Amino acid sequence: MPFIVPIDEARSMFPQFIFLSPLTPSEQKAAFHVRDTNGTDLCLKIIAPNYDIDRLQREILALQSLSHPNIVRLIEYTFSSRPEIQRHYVIEEFIEGQDLRDDIVPGQPWDLNEATPFFISLFDGLNALNMKQLVHRDLKPNNIRVKPDNSPVIIDFGLARHLSLSDLTTTRAGAAIGTPAYFAPEQFQGNKHDIDHRTDLYAVGTILFEVLVGHHPFHSVINSYSDLQDAVCNSSEYLRDSIFVTLPVSWQLIISKLLEKERVRRPLNASQVVTILQRIGG
Amino acid sequence: MRRGVWHQCGDRSQKLVLEQLQLGNGVGVILSPRDLSFNNACDYAHAYRDLGAEVTIDLQFYNPQFHNRFIDSYPTNEYRISVSDLCQINDGQLQGLSESLTNINGSIGATALIAPALIYETGRQDLVGLNSRLFSIAKQVGNDLGIPTYASVLLGRSATVSESSINSLLSSATALNCDGWYFGFEFNQNRIPNNYDDLLRFGRSLLTLASTGKPVLHSYSGPLSIFSMGFGATGTAIGHSQNLWQFTRGRWEIVLSGQGGGGDAPPRYFSQNLWGTFVYPDELFQLPDNLRQRLLTPTPFSNSLNAISPFTWSRWDANKHLIYIIGNVINQQAQDVDPRLCANFALEILTGAIQLGDEIQNSGLRLKDDTCCYQSDWKQALIDGLAQYNSDYDYLSLLM
Repeated sequence: MPFIVPIDEARSMFPQFIFLSPLTPSEQKAAFHVRDTNGTDLCLKIIAPNYDIDRLQREILALQSLSHPNIVRLIEYTFSSRPEIQRHYVIEEFIEGQDLRDDIVPGQPWDLNEATPFFISLFDGLNALNMKQLVHRDLKPNNIRVKPDNSPVIIDFGLARHLSLSDLTTTRAGAAIGTPAYFAPEQFQGNKHDIDHRTDLYAVGTILFEVLVGHHPFHSVINSYSDLQDAVCNSSEYLRDSIFVTLPVSWQLIISKLLEKERVRRPLNASQVVTILQRIGG
Repeated sequence: MRRGVWHQCGDRSQKLVLEQLQLGNGVGVILSPRDLSFNNACDYAHAYRDLGAEVTIDLQFYNPQFHNRFIDSYPTNEYRISVSDLCQINDGQLQGLSESLTNINGSIGATALIAPALIYETGRQDLVGLNSRLFSIAKQVGNDLGIPTYASVLLGRSATVSESSINSLLSSATALNCDGWYFGFEFNQNRIPNNYDDLLRFGRSLLTLASTGKPVLHSYSGPLSIFSMGFGATGTAIGHSQNLWQFTRGRWEIVLSGQGGGGDAPPRYFSQNLWGTFVYPDELFQLPDNLRQRLLTPTPFSNSLNAISPFTWSRWDANKHLIYIIGNVINQQAQDVDPRLCANFALEILTGAIQLGDEIQNSGLRLKDDTCCYQSDWKQALIDGLAQYNSDYDYLSLLM
């Protein structure tokens, strides 16, 4: 159930902003495209009252430590307490463009020349996360914005985890949070010790497949959690997909490595993938 | 990490290593605290470096309770305690370990730091956690000293019996942010691994580590070096003693007499053309001349080997001859950076060895060091590894 704040109520809470439009809310946050008095477009996120504040502060910590063109920039985090209402809210840069989800049209794969620079930038952003020991844990097309210049920006760090800090979730939940369609095998079956940077690589591997092939690698079972789990953990049927096999061999290889069941068999890190994509190009 | 042969110390071979380096054999040395006091290690390290070798030290926490008078002379001695005590060590105590590592690696002028670690075992998440903590300490020391830090990945027998166990442990180990891997794989065989399935799992483990794009040093290799290079090793560590030919923890406990040991067995001849097989003096003597000539590979240490009376050869000359041959061949093999080419190089040698072994057997002589017991398994594992792990080799070539 998304956390919805009517735009008029939001206006009254934040009179300093011009509210341009509501953005897609999540369970934890209502979001608005706003403009400040200097004319700068921003994304205002109002945090649901029942949201885990420890988790929110982790997210803030994660974002504050990052400065990368392919990662959304945090501008302000504020706790507002008024006589009848207490609210946490976050202001991020507003990313012009649309969600990557809108650019993935079933049956219409991207051209390699188009995909190569996009994914090099995306993996570069992912590498910045890795350098800070951050795992996003919920990478999916809805959490990647595509700017008008076709560059990607990773957003929504609500489930991000700093690997050097203790997890806020229980062992099993620590693995199985996020969006199942982009889960790595260890998220379905493992525990939080198994979640690391390579879990994010798997998710982006799934997105890369979807973009270049025109459908999800496990599209036939995506609506059933148990069937999806079984396929993600055990099936390599996607390697025989009729469109996948027409991709250049080096692209097939990098995608199949990203989608390996065992973390150790995936690329070591996003930086390695960037190097390879730069080499094989479109 | 330089490509080629590294000398693995640990069995009274410090002078032998010095001599080999003087002959240009070897690119690095791994010192061992097992048979060398800390002060002497510093002296040898400087001598090795002066000869252009990389130098590092393996502090050998595989059996953390092991003590002898040499190992006790190192500042890390107070951390040689039981595994359970090590697992409970707090961050403050680990700070002391950090200082000890700095002292040791700084004093020997290490060109790389091998992180202390316990043997990875199946179902022992506590050891994974402990190794991760030990690595973090070591990595900081390596950074402070300005040298690369290699994560020790020693897979115990409980893990090496199954591919899924290996993958699970390697998934954890490869999360360490190291600059290279110091790899060991516990086999079940006494001297030279010859079980086809074990060899294939070993090869794939190596290939998997190599696919991280970081250099891999196979820590206890011996004649298996040609096989390791074919599966992506950057360097292989060899020693004259069979104790150093594979990672077998029990052998660390063998008491060093300081006088040699090994009984009165005659020195044996390591033949390049029979790769991995030793020939005893009486066997050399019995061979027809044409086969004997094909079996012999001359080295600076085989001059005194007299075909008329091979019994005059000294045991240390035999050891030096062995190291010289393995080093020479591996350094040739290491010229090719592509592991596929290294595998083909190994296949060529093994094919020749099997053929020569057959010819010797057909001549009526059955060598005591049974030729047929491992070369064919190594060869088959290499052939099947190249085919089955084709995508791993392809991926590695993308990284080169």
